[in-house]
Amino acid sequence: MPERAEKVVVALSSIPNTGKTTLFNRLTGSSQTTGNWPGVSVEKKVGRFTLGEFEISLVDLPGAYALSPVTEEENIVRTYFLKTPPAVILNIIDASNLYRSLGLTLQMCTSGLPMVVAVNMIDKTTQLDIPLLSTHLGVPVIPISARSGQGVPDLQQALYEVIKEPERTHIPHISCPPVLEEAAKELSRKIIPGGALEKMDSNFLAMRLLEEKTFADSIQKTGLAAVINQWRDRVEKTTGEQIPITCAKCRFNAARGLILETTRKQSAPPDERSKCIDNILLHRWFSLPLFLLIMFLLFQAVYGLGAPLQDLIGQGFDAAEAWLRVQPFISRQSDWLQSFLFDGLWQGLGVVTSFFPIVALFFIFMSLIEDSGYMARAAFLMDHLMHRLGLDGKAFINLLLGYGCNVPAIMGTRILSSHHNRIITILLIPFTLCIARLQVFVFLTTILFSPVIAPFILFSLYLSSFIVIVLTGFFLKVLRIAGKPEPFIMEIPPYRMPTISGVALKTRQELKDFLYRAAPLIIAGVIVVWFLTHFPADVPAAGAETWAGRLGHLFSPLFNPLGIHWQETVALLFGLIAKEIVVGAMAVIYGGGDLSNQVFQHISPLQGLSFMVFTLFYTPCVATIAAIKAESGSWKITLFSLILGLVIAWLASLVLYQTGLALGLR
Amino acid sequence: MKKTKRRFERYPGVECIIHSLGADEKIAQRLAQMGVLPGATLQIIRLAPFGTTVEVSVDSGQSFAIRDEYLTALKCQILAMPLTYPDVRLHTTYRIRTLFGGRKFQQRMETQGIHPGLFIKIVNLTKPRVILQLIEHEKTVKLGRGEAEKIIIEVTNA
Repeated sequence: MPERAEKVVVALSSIPNTGKTTLFNRLTGSSQTTGNWPGVSVEKKVGRFTLGEFEISLVDLPGAYALSPVTEEENIVRTYFLKTPPAVILNIIDASNLYRSLGLTLQMCTSGLPMVVAVNMIDKTTQLDIPLLSTHLGVPVIPISARSGQGVPDLQQALYEVIKEPERTHIPHISCPPVLEEAAKELSRKIIPGGALEKMDSNFLAMRLLEEKTFADSIQKTGLAAVINQWRDRVEKTTGEQIPITCAKCRFNAARGLILETTRKQSAPPDERSKCIDNILLHRWFSLPLFLLIMFLLFQAVYGLGAPLQDLIGQGFDAAEAWLRVQPFISRQSDWLQSFLFDGLWQGLGVVTSFFPIVALFFIFMSLIEDSGYMARAAFLMDHLMHRLGLDGKAFINLLLGYGCNVPAIMGTRILSSHHNRIITILLIPFTLCIARLQVFVFLTTILFSPVIAPFILFSLYLSSFIVIVLTGFFLKVLRIAGKPEPFIMEIPPYRMPTISGVALKTRQELKDFLYRAAPLIIAGVIVVWFLTHFPADVPAAGAETWAGRLGHLFSPLFNPLGIHWQETVALLFGLIAKEIVVGAMAVIYGGGDLSNQVFQHISPLQGLSFMVFTLFYTPCVATIAAIKAESGSWKITLFSLILGLVIAWLASLVLYQTGLALGLR
Repeated sequence: MKKTKRRFERYPGVECIIHSLGADEKIAQRLAQMGVLPGATLQIIRLAPFGTTVEVSVDSGQSFAIRDEYLTALKCQILAMPLTYPDVRLHTTYRIRTLFGGRKFQQRMETQGIHPGLFIKIVNLTKPRVILQLIEHEKTVKLGRGEAEKIIIEVTNA
C-alpha cells in the first residue's frame, strides 16, 4: 500500500481565449467540481488528478489580463494569489499571439512562486526558441497543443519536477522608470511578509502595494500606508500617469523584447479564415438577419427538440405513478402519506427530471456558439441595444432564450462577462414569457376571447413582457442594484471548431450542477406547495379550508382590486410548482366538471386578462427561483427577484383591471 | 463655437496611432493591460449595426469590440483614412496604403490600375462619384462611393 498521497494545489491561470479550459479538461478529465467563488456569481472549477505521489487540485482561475484588477474576475484572481497562494502556478500562453499573453506571464513570473508555462497551439508557430524563453522567464516552458493533447505528458512531467523541487533559479527583472524601481526597492525593504505571503518575492509585493490602492488598504495596520502613498504620489508625479499603466508599459516592453529575441517570425500572419467568415457574419446588411436566423435555429434546436422530450418524460412519470399507486406496499399506506409521496415528492422529482432535456440541449448549443467564437460576435452586434439597459450584447441571447424556459437561461448567465451583467440579466429573465406560461395563456384566451381577438391578446402579452423588461432594466440601472457596469472592451477571438469532448464535458457539468444546486430547492418548493394545498389533512385538497385557501382569503383584499378571486390565487400558488399546472389546478379548485365551462362562468374576460398579466410577471416557478439562488449565490438577490416580480405583477394587473373597469369593460 | 472633434471611429479603414489612453482610469487601465499602449496602431474594422460599438484591430494582432465613446476619449493621430473621410482634400497628393476589401475587390481595382503604393490626386468628391487622378499612370478613374470607402490613403510629403 503506497503512502498517503500528498495534496498539492496548482492554479491554472491565463488571459482569456488561450485554450485554458481545453487544457483544464485535458488534465482533469471528468473529475471536476464546480461552485462559486465566495460572495460572487463567478464560477469556480476545481479538478483533480495524480502525478506520481502527489494528488493535484487544479484550480481553474477566471481569465484575467493582469493582477491589478479592473474586473470582478481579476479581483478574484488577485485575491486568490495574495490570500491563498498556490504551491505552483500553471500559466498557459497563446503561441499565435505571444504579445497579448506575456503581459500576465511576466507579472506572475516576478511573484517568485514556482511556475510552469505551457505554450499552447504551438503547431501554428514553430519558430519559437523555447529554451531561450524558459531561461528568460526563469521557469520551465513546455510547448503543447491543448486541443490534440500533444506535449501534455511533458507538461505533467515538468509540473511534477517543479512540485518536487520548487526552488526558483531566478526571478526575471522587468525594468521600470528609475523612480518606480526606487520606490519598489524602498518598500520591499520595509515589508516583512508573513503567513501566506512568505513565499513571494518582496519586490513583487512592493509592486502590488504601489499598483493597488485596495491591497494597500488591507495592510494598513503595519503602518506602511503613509509611506506607500508618499511613494505613489512621487511616482505618479514623475511619470505623469497612473502606476498600473506605467507597470503595464514596462511589462509589454519587456514582452516585446522577449518576442524579438525568441521568435524568428515577428508576428503570426493574420487569421484569414476568421476574416472571411466575419465578412459574411458581420456584414453591414446581412449580419442582423443572419444573427436572427442563428437565434431562431438555436431556439428551435433547444426547445423544438427539448419540449417533446419533456413531454415524454412527463408521460413516463405519470405511467410510473399509476403503476406505483396500485402496488400493495404503497396502497396500504395512509392517504396523506400516499398524497405526500405522489403529489409532493414524486411531483417534485418529475419537475426536476423534466428540465433535464432542456438544460442539456441548452448547454450543448450554447457551448457550440460560445466555443466557436460566435458569441463574441453576437455580443458585438447586440451591444448597442443592450447598452441602454446597462448590459452588454451577450445578455441579449440569455434574455431571448428566457422566452423558451427561464431555468437554463438563468443558468446560462454564467457566460456573461461581469457580475453586474449577470445579476441584472438574472433579474430580468423572469419577465420573459416562457413556453409554460404561454400554455396557460393559450388555454385561457381561447375560452375567454373570440378567435379573432385571441391572437392579439397573446401578441400584446408578448409585447408587455418586452416592455416590462426594458422598463425594469432602466429601473435597475438607476437603482445601481449590482454596482457599476464594467467598461465594455471585449476581445474578438478567432473562429475555432468546437470539440465534442469540450461540449460534452460542459453539458455534463451543467447537468450535475443543476442536480446538486437547483434540484433540492425545487423539490423542497414543490413539497411546500403540496403542504399548503393539502393541509389541514381533514379538508378536501385545494379547497377553501386548506392553508392555501385560507391564504387566498387572507390576501383577497390585495387581489380583489385586480379582479382575481381566491380560487385563482390558489391556482397562482400552484403555479409556483410549474406554470403548466395552473390550468390543472383550476380544474381541481373549481371542483371538477368541464373546466372550459367553469372558467367561462367564473371569470370575465377582463378578469382573465388581469389574471394572465399577473401570471406573466409574478414570481416564476420554483425551478427558476432555485436557478436564481444557485447562479447568484445570494438569498438577497433571490428574495429581491421574488418581490420585484410580485410588485410588478400586482401593479400591472391593478392598472389594467381598474382602467378596464373605468372604461366600462368587464 | 466649440469645434467638435472629428469622429474618426465612425469610418472603417481609418488607422491611427495612439498618443495617450485618455482620462477614464478604468478604461485606460483595461487597454494598457491588454497591451494596447501609447504607440500602438489601431485600425477601425467595422461598425456594429446601429453603430455605437466598433470593432478595432491592433498592430499586435488582437481585435476587439469597444464602444465608440471610449475611442473618442483616446488621443490619436490619424495615419490613414478612406477616400470618403471628411478631412480628405481635393488636389492634394495621397498615397494608397491598403485596399480594405476582399480579394474580388482588390482584383477589380487592380484591373483599373489601382494598387497600394500608388500616388493619387482627387479630382472630384461630389456624390455619387469619386474621380481619382492616378499620377503615375496619367489617367483618371471614376469610382462609386462604396468603392471609395474601401480605398485607404495616407498623406505623403511628395
